[in-house]
Amino acid sequence: MTRTITFFILKLLILILLQVVIFNNIVLFNVAMPFVFIYALITMPITWSTNASLTIAFFTGLIIDIFSNTLGVDALACTLLAFVRKPVFHLYEQRDEDLGGHKPSQTTMGSGAFLKYGATMSLIYCLAVFTIDAFAIFNPIRWVEQVVGSAIFTFIIIYALDSIFTRQHEKRL
Amino acid sequence: MHELLAFFVKHSKWFLFIVYAGLSLMLLFKSGPYQHHVYLTSANAVTSAVYKASNSVYSYFHLREMNDDLNQRNAELQSEAIALRQQLTDLREAQLGDTLQLPDSLRQYRFIVAHVISNSIAQPYNYITINKGSAEGIRPEMGVVDPNGVVGIVNVVGEHSARVISLLNPNLRLSCRLKGSSSFGSLVWEGSDPEIALLQELPRHTVFQPGDTVVTSGYSGVFPEGIPVGIVMADNEHKNENFFTLKVKLSTDFATLSNVQVVIDSKKDEREALEAADYTVKTK
Repeated sequence: MTRTITFFILKLLILILLQVVIFNNIVLFNVAMPFVFIYALITMPITWSTNASLTIAFFTGLIIDIFSNTLGVDALACTLLAFVRKPVFHLYEQRDEDLGGHKPSQTTMGSGAFLKYGATMSLIYCLAVFTIDAFAIFNPIRWVEQVVGSAIFTFIIIYALDSIFTRQHEKRL
Repeated sequence: MHELLAFFVKHSKWFLFIVYAGLSLMLLFKSGPYQHHVYLTSANAVTSAVYKASNSVYSYFHLREMNDDLNQRNAELQSEAIALRQQLTDLREAQLGDTLQLPDSLRQYRFIVAHVISNSIAQPYNYITINKGSAEGIRPEMGVVDPNGVVGIVNVVGEHSARVISLLNPNLRLSCRLKGSSSFGSLVWEGSDPEIALLQELPRHTVFQPGDTVVTSGYSGVFPEGIPVGIVMADNEHKNENFFTLKVKLSTDFATLSNVQVVIDSKKDEREALEAADYTVKTK
């Protein structure tokens, strides 16, 4: 358990750093932004309580907000993401939480289920972020472009990260 | 009470969600002191340290573009500087032409102000190039002076440039006399020091003092009479010959030559015709 927590904290810190140093500077076609750090949030062990994941998510979002000067936006979106995490997970993974503390990934869920899970979570996050942004300036076409573009971009990178970092010996149960 | 607590525990995730969402919304919408607190902006110590570190890496990525930009900018500024310098030169020439005071004896002469565009003082035979030529009325054999004294004589003329034989050229012999005396000799560069020339063939009976001014004689018609050339130096050896040779410190500073005036003698044609007539009489 301690090993899992340490590994998670390390992963979270590295992803936050990557997000603020590299990915925050990338905007494809002037619409699509990758929110890569949510990979840490969506791969939190599913057995962890919702309260714990809410807290972790809120402060992760707050840190990202502080770095990118978007106070509140990412914190709110992350909180939302953590809240819907379990329901979305069980949408695609029918088995109970007897995964044994395993994190959602291609190897534990299977590629198809993780694909759907990751895509849904990316879409929810981008929807949340750009809807919150839209309170300031609402441009429907740009809003759709941003949500769809960013969700696809985020998901592609998350899927790639998962393919690279999921250890092969982590057998599917 | 127990049931209430149980209710809270059972639905704790909802309450926690509401608390965090409320906090986020507060940060998002309430324009309170939090928004401008330095710890909650990218200006705090940790954030700025991270950004500085990453920037120290990022800054290398754009070096080529930045270099291109700087080169471009440099070229623009350089051409601008050249244009301005040109303008300044033109204005200075115009000003010099306007403020030049001509003594009465010089009325027959006109001056064209020109700018030195190339100059040498270290060669055995030195030449100067100026930026005016035949289009501006310059012809070969015209004298060139600057505010301090004689510079040289025009040698080859192009349309908008001309080559001047510098006084620092052994090919140029200038007819000179000592100011306040009628004896004249010919001045020639001694070949090494750009500040010193020799006044040769000065008659033995000439009385002079170190510090006397050497001026043009006006005999050649190239220069008006009385243009300063230099000053007799102190360390002259008196050789037992029929003629003195005096060391003359040139009054023109050839090393910093910039604006010069080309002397146009309006009566030159008349005099040449006269001298030619004299020559034909003699030969007859």
